[in-house]
Amino acid sequence: MKRFSLIVIAVWCSWMVHAQTDATAQSSPASVTTNSPDATRPPRAPTRIDSDNSADFDLNGHQAIYRGHVRVDDPQMKLTCAQLTTDLPQAGGRPNHIVAETNVVIDFTDDKGQTNHATSDKAVYLYNVQNGVTNETVTLTGNPQPQVENAQGTQAGDVIVWSRENTNSHVRFIGNYHMVSYQKPGEVMMGTNSPVTVVKTNVPPGTVENTSTNMQ
Amino acid sequence: MNAKANITRASLAAGAVLLFAVAPGIRAQQNGVQHANDFTSTEYYGPTNQQQIKSIVSGAEALPQPGGLLIIKQLRLRTFYPDGKPEIIVTAPECLYDTMSGTASSAGPLHLQTGDGKFRVEGEGFLWRQTNSFLIISNNVRTVIENGAITNTKP
Repeated sequence: MKRFSLIVIAVWCSWMVHAQTDATAQSSPASVTTNSPDATRPPRAPTRIDSDNSADFDLNGHQAIYRGHVRVDDPQMKLTCAQLTTDLPQAGGRPNHIVAETNVVIDFTDDKGQTNHATSDKAVYLYNVQNGVTNETVTLTGNPQPQVENAQGTQAGDVIVWSRENTNSHVRFIGNYHMVSYQKPGEVMMGTNSPVTVVKTNVPPGTVENTSTNMQ
Repeated sequence: MNAKANITRASLAAGAVLLFAVAPGIRAQQNGVQHANDFTSTEYYGPTNQQQIKSIVSGAEALPQPGGLLIIKQLRLRTFYPDGKPEIIVTAPECLYDTMSGTASSAGPLHLQTGDGKFRVEGEGFLWRQTNSFLIISNNVRTVIENGAITNTKP
């Protein structure tokens, strides 16, 4: 039971923390994001994880599966999907593999208070430490094409990979990248009556990469 | 007295089943089990820590059923760390423990929380298969993680 509780706590907390960080990197890929020390933050409101249907906890197989309109409600992030699978690490450990599947929607607020909206068919979180180097990735894939949208615009690619190696992080848009920028009147397009101007950027299939450093 | 001891033992086993991992190998030994009210059973840690309580199982009622089944009402199970701090509290208004298959189930609610109350999960309808340590909560699974329960998962 101790193992069970620690596992579930670790799983979800890890997902919360890292999903927030991932999304920040995606929304502002060229910026440096520094999280303030936890001691300076006000107490967090509870995180809630609900599913309409079943939740399976396989303690021998070290895996948990939530099914049916899975909702993760965190003060800084909301995630919904049809199914969420996570490994169950040993007590004191942390999950190495979390998969959210089908109609994955992640809404989060970054450090600047800007809301972001990410969608994909599948989101996979991986974590490992090799030779003292921490590697984390969150990969958005599937159909419809994964995308991240905020007030500045929308970025999309066949595959969106956020990764972090120790303090360095970067986001890659792989395959059929396109960006739609929203620009306020007067910023670029003078004389337009449109409330916003849409600037579309299409890039041939390949990889678009942005790197941020000194991530915490 | 002997019957009471038997039902206490059986109740402990069923409670342990609900606790999922307390004693995976426990099987109810309930031949000759009789009805019992307001039972409580205490389990202690092993030889190295004999004075320390490991778990306390209590229930308002235990009803033996044909076919090796046992209905436990108002189940309340508490476990403790070796240092005495509360670990987990599990409650269920009712569950059915099948001593033959080693399963515990109920269409009713299950509530589980850590000793400090910062992590809570509940749902409606559950099945625990003791043989492979598999728990299914059937519907409306609700998990709440309070502030402070979140560990620092950053490297």
